[in-house]
Amino acid sequence: MRPIMAIATTTVGEAIRRRVLLIILFIGVLLLSIIPSLSVLTARSEQSTMISTMYAVLRGTSALIAIILTIYMIPNEIERRTIYTILSKPVMRWQFLVGKFMGAVLALGLMIVLMSSVMVLLFYIFQQPSPERLLEVARQPFFYFLEMMLLAAVCIFFSTFTTPLVNFFLSIGIWGVGTVLSPLYSSIASNSGASPIMQSVAKFVTGAMPAFSNYDVKNPIINPGQVIENEQKYFIYIVLYAILYSAGLLVAGMVIFDKREV
Amino acid sequence: MAAAIETRKLTKTYKSRLHGLINVVQDLDLTVEEGEIFGFLGPNGAGKTTTIKMLLGIIYPTGGEGFVLGKEIGDMDVHRIISYLPERPYYYEHMTGLEILRFYGALFGIKDEALFNQLLERVNLAADKSKTISQFSKGMQQRIGLAQSLLNDPKLLFLDEPTGGLDPIAHIEIRDLILKFRDEGRTVFISSHELSEVERICDRVAIINKGIIVSQGKLDDLLSGGRIEIIADDVSKEIADQIKGTADATVSFHEGRLIVDMSDEQDPNSVVDSIRSTKGRIISLTPRRKRLEDLFIETVRDDDASKKKPAAVAAEAGGAQ
Ligand SMILES: Nc1ncnc2c1ncn2[C@@H]1O[C@H](COP(=O)(O)OP(=O)(O)OP(=O)(O)O)[C@@H](O)[C@H]1O
Ligand SMILES: [Mg+2]
Repeated sequence: MRPIMAIATTTVGEAIRRRVLLIILFIGVLLLSIIPSLSVLTARSEQSTMISTMYAVLRGTSALIAIILTIYMIPNEIERRTIYTILSKPVMRWQFLVGKFMGAVLALGLMIVLMSSVMVLLFYIFQQPSPERLLEVARQPFFYFLEMMLLAAVCIFFSTFTTPLVNFFLSIGIWGVGTVLSPLYSSIASNSGASPIMQSVAKFVTGAMPAFSNYDVKNPIINPGQVIENEQKYFIYIVLYAILYSAGLLVAGMVIFDKREV
Repeated sequence: MAAAIETRKLTKTYKSRLHGLINVVQDLDLTVEEGEIFGFLGPNGAGKTTTIKMLLGIIYPTGGEGFVLGKEIGDMDVHRIISYLPERPYYYEHMTGLEILRFYGALFGIKDEALFNQLLERVNLAADKSKTISQFSKGMQQRIGLAQSLLNDPKLLFLDEPTGGLDPIAHIEIRDLILKFRDEGRTVFISSHELSEVERICDRVAIINKGIIVSQGKLDDLLSGGRIEIIADDVSKEIADQIKGTADATVSFHEGRLIVDMSDEQDPNSVVDSIRSTKGRIISLTPRRKRLEDLFIETVRDDDASKKKPAAVAAEAGGAQ
């Protein structure tokens, strides 16, 4: 466990110093900060507009950070030969990979906490919401964090056998499918009017692709009509889903990485 | 004494789009005894780093087998008692020397602050404790690398070009450190092409060229067959001719001085006697060991000449892409 933790903390140390990530983070925070003034300008100070825009910024920024952070992680270690000194110590390759993943998740957590603090603070200042409402708003970033963990696992899995550039497009593609297409396909899958072929394609997409859309939890502020029947059950489900899906990807990545020349 | 490293027909073949299959290391039979400094020499691209990486289990051999400290390569228990200094190493730039040692220490489960400080002391970095790696000179990076490689008190060290790109003073520092490793009973495996360096510190060497070992043995044996040089003053031309006639030697005059260069298998006394018989004055008599550089260039050149092509086996394997 100690080697894994050492690799993870070192990874965090590196991640929070990477200029690209800091720039993206900065832009994210900047965008979040101008959202309230935009709604003042458009005279649409409804809570829902403000909060859904903020969510979109938070989610997009986090996803970009998750992808950029992880696609270079393994290739950089190899290119700079840091991996050789590490693997010449009593460290198994799977431990290295898990350490890297955990470091990425920790770093993502830190950055998401930073952005969501800004977001919640701004929401509080400009909307003066009730405590319950504030809590509801503050809850969503946690689900985005789970989503980004899953996305990081996807990227790390790909990084065991593709180049960063290919990985970038693959991961963005998969995230896109999981966020945008997945809800669409799930409605096709459950639509008895659709052709059987369409239905099975839809079933595959919704079943096998990571369902990132689950983490955009339907919020009563944004979608007043939609209420999740059993919230607790739903939350447990998406937490487990993120953990198990990520673990599965990591195991597959380990198998590939173990055979690979570094 | 048990062998620290033993390989039998260790082979690494890469597929290349241009050249088909290439044996980067081929049928390597290597024996390194415990407690010696072993020099692994070869020109650029000979396969030195590849061999070390195979011995460390970082890359996988495509043929043959290898044993490190009695265990098959890749064994994790062995990783606790060996260490590795890669060529042109790189450490996480944001960390200080102390943090680097903490990090690598953690990989062994070591958290002995006293040890970390002692190692920094040992490689002369105690004063630069608070500098980050990005502020380190090349020599300092190499020294933190050596400190890192001593964390687990290793029995066997793999040093890949430990003095590459360092200035003469840093050379001497590193050389002294390596010699101390041997005094402490460690086995040191050094890959290098800095031959004067290797000649000073190694007990045995192997020369590898294009993936194949072309020479291996005790340095003293490999470098035997040296020469003796005699320089003398006031020697007449006749005596010079006489020496040339009796001894198998090259005789020449330089600024009026006689220079005799002869194999050390002959007795130099007869030459000295001839010179002194006519009041000639001996200025110096110097035995010259063959230099490693000569041996290296000789072996590699002969080997290159005997093979027209590198060790490409594409045709027979038929696996070209
Ligand atoms: N992954 C790889 N794929 C194909 N060829 C490779 C690979 N890695 C190394 N080689 C080739 O193997 C040969 C030996 O490389 P190696 O790094 O072992 O040489 P070296 O003896 O350490 O050289 P140097 O003194 O320059 O460090 C080189 O020709 C190199 O191009
Ligand atoms: Mg090399």
